[in-house]
Amino acid sequence: MNPRAANALLGAAGILLTLGAWELVARSGIVSQSVFPAPFHALATGLAKVPLADLGGHVWISLQRIALGFAAGALLGVGLAVAGGWYRTFGNLVRPVVELLRPIPPLAWIPMAIVWFGLGEPSKVFVIFLGAFFPVLTNTWKGMANIDPTLLRAGQTMGLSGPELLLKVAIPATLPDIATGLRIGWGLAFGVLVAAELIAAESGLGYLIMNARQLGEVEVIILGILVIGAANLVTDNLLARVLARWLNRSSEGSLP
Amino acid sequence: MGAAATRHAAVLQGAGFIVSLLLLWELASALGWLRPHSFPPPSRIAQGAWELAVRGFPEGVRVWTHTLVTLRRIFSGFALAMLAAIPLGLLIGRSPTLDALTNPVITFARSVATLSLLPLVIVWFGTGELSKTLLIAYGCFWVMLSNVIAGVKYVDPVLVRAARTMDTPGREIFTHIVLPAALPRIFAGARTALGVGFMVIVGAEMIGTIEGLGALIMEARTFYRTDVTIVGMMLLGVMGVLFALGMEALERRLLPWHRGLSEVRR
Amino acid sequence: MSASAAPKIEVLRVSKQFGDAAAAPVLRDVDLACAENEFVCLLGRSGCGKTTLLNIIAGLVPPTAGEVRVDGEVVTGPGRGKGMVFQQNALFPWLSARGNVEFGARRSGLDKAGAGRVADELLDLVGLRDYGARYPGELSGGMQQRVAIARALALDPQILLMDEPFGALDEITRLDMQAELLRVWSSRRKTVVFVTHSIMEALALGDRIVVMGGGSIAAIHDVGLERPRSRSDPALLRLHDTIWQGLH
Ligand SMILES: Nc1ncnc2c1ncn2[C@@H]1O[C@H](COP(=O)(O)OP(=O)(O)OP(=O)(O)O)[C@@H](O)[C@H]1O
Ligand SMILES: [Mg+2]
Repeated sequence: MNPRAANALLGAAGILLTLGAWELVARSGIVSQSVFPAPFHALATGLAKVPLADLGGHVWISLQRIALGFAAGALLGVGLAVAGGWYRTFGNLVRPVVELLRPIPPLAWIPMAIVWFGLGEPSKVFVIFLGAFFPVLTNTWKGMANIDPTLLRAGQTMGLSGPELLLKVAIPATLPDIATGLRIGWGLAFGVLVAAELIAAESGLGYLIMNARQLGEVEVIILGILVIGAANLVTDNLLARVLARWLNRSSEGSLP
Repeated sequence: MGAAATRHAAVLQGAGFIVSLLLLWELASALGWLRPHSFPPPSRIAQGAWELAVRGFPEGVRVWTHTLVTLRRIFSGFALAMLAAIPLGLLIGRSPTLDALTNPVITFARSVATLSLLPLVIVWFGTGELSKTLLIAYGCFWVMLSNVIAGVKYVDPVLVRAARTMDTPGREIFTHIVLPAALPRIFAGARTALGVGFMVIVGAEMIGTIEGLGALIMEARTFYRTDVTIVGMMLLGVMGVLFALGMEALERRLLPWHRGLSEVRR
Repeated sequence: MSASAAPKIEVLRVSKQFGDAAAAPVLRDVDLACAENEFVCLLGRSGCGKTTLLNIIAGLVPPTAGEVRVDGEVVTGPGRGKGMVFQQNALFPWLSARGNVEFGARRSGLDKAGAGRVADELLDLVGLRDYGARYPGELSGGMQQRVAIARALALDPQILLMDEPFGALDEITRLDMQAELLRVWSSRRKTVVFVTHSIMEALALGDRIVVMGGGSIAAIHDVGLERPRSRSDPALLRLHDTIWQGLH
């Protein structure tokens, strides 16, 4: 058997072992099943209480919020960092402000988000935006600062200057770092999601599980947690693939 | 213009810009262009900070308490995660079989947003300290675990070869070659984990407590004291910076050889 | 060199193939014998399998077919008897230059004090006496390579396997190091297998020059000149031409 197949089999065995252990503990009766349900029971009950269509609806809404916040964070992050890295004075002005705000955890903005944007959609998207914005910005900025000067000189000897040099040499050279920032940003956007949806939401995965807690439906909570994990895993893989293809096409760099 | 002079000018520009922003903000509030509730001017924030230090918010819970409580929660969760993740990671990283066996489970567990566990730990352990510690520990644990595994797994094979040509016994290869070679990665893991813990704490403190910086900023908003909220946010930021600096200093102390490399790469 | 009884190293019909059976072999039926205390140079173009052969002799990589014997015994793994200087930097970055050399000395069975003395001696030998406290990341490429040579010597092995050890050095240091290596070799008597792609270097150092090409041994030349050798010795230059032509 080739090693890849062997690894896949072992991995499957690991998943089964984990589920088996969970099932065993749940059935042993150490803790009540209503507090610690067995995995398949939890999924079945959870799905009975939240039909697949409803669940899909929550996933869809959450993904929309993440996508919106992430897109805004990525655009602004890349834009500011490229401009700040390229135009020195602009960079000198913006950088310290960014450095002052960056250490504040995204969730700590929630109260101000409510004050500024109320309890509706914009405040949720704003918090997710912050989660994505800072990693994209710092990674892009780092990439801009570390461009190999030889590359820039090579571009200049070929007659490039100004915005053309930026567009044709500097930004392509920074793409690997931008890609890294985007992946970290996407992960953080997901990490922030639940907390963002704590803000008086009536839909979304965060709402689903917080609401289930109030109703005491542990099965729904577990279902929700697993769905959030799966959604993150799947979308992160997709993003990684898209970025890898994009990088291969447009530069020599590769994802770390 | 020399490099030092350039940096000097940059700092001046940046500082000047920030000061003028603050002045503008103060002025705009005084002229009534900005609502003080949404954008409390710097003078109000300073007042809030003073009040927080002297009287406390809520009354009697002063800033030191909030900060210490938050610190204690982060550290207990972080320490718990380290204690579990380092030995386990070393074990898994050494064994390709164990690695293949655990890889999908670890990948999935790491993808589960830590805060999504909040409702579950509340059901299981209530809203007390244990829940917060466990939540932080969960977030730190998986980040740390995957970094320790990677550190051990991706040791440069030529180093192991060199040791083997010197007849180094297997146990010593682990303690003298693999472990030190993995340390930078393990350290990077600890740094990331601390960042995760720092993010989770704010969410965890939003529920079931009035102590801690996360609780402070939420409470203050409910009482229309956004000036105090902003003080809390600033404290969280300062704490984050201090953590990062502390970890950096620690790494420089413990891994002096690694500094040379990281400085070259910059 | 002595035409004495058993050779120190015997490479017997060694073949090596990476990956599956369909891949082209990197080494094909290589036969080679090195006498005790002999200095053998392996010469060949980049990618012809020099490093692979050296790794197989070291016991780091198993051959697909054939075997390597040292003192008549089949090599099954790396060991103290065979020191190695790697083509790429293989210093332990968490140990200082001196720490790296000491590591080798300790492995040869010396106690801490003895290892320290040997390390100082060898650092002196490679001209890095003042750099013992530096970490590898703080040394230049050539300095790193000299530390690696000192580390291999610290092991005091009977066999020294060197994979382009002077490749990263400047011409001046390179000539110095060649002279040093010959001095160490003649005073401590070791069997050396030395990989290089410089014909001149092989001529300056080797008792015999083994030219590799296309995964097997293309030619073996006895140098048979007294050391130290002059680079303008007509006999040496003639051999240079012969080897050069043989490579084309
Ligand atoms: N681990 C490996 N897997 C697959 N192929 C390999 C491996 N190691 C070496 N090769 C191949 O074997 C051939 C010989 O490699 P080797 O490193 O022995 O060359 P070399 O003669 O030392 O070259 P150089 O002078 O450039 O160091 C090359 O074609 C190389 O691609
Ligand atoms: Mg080679």
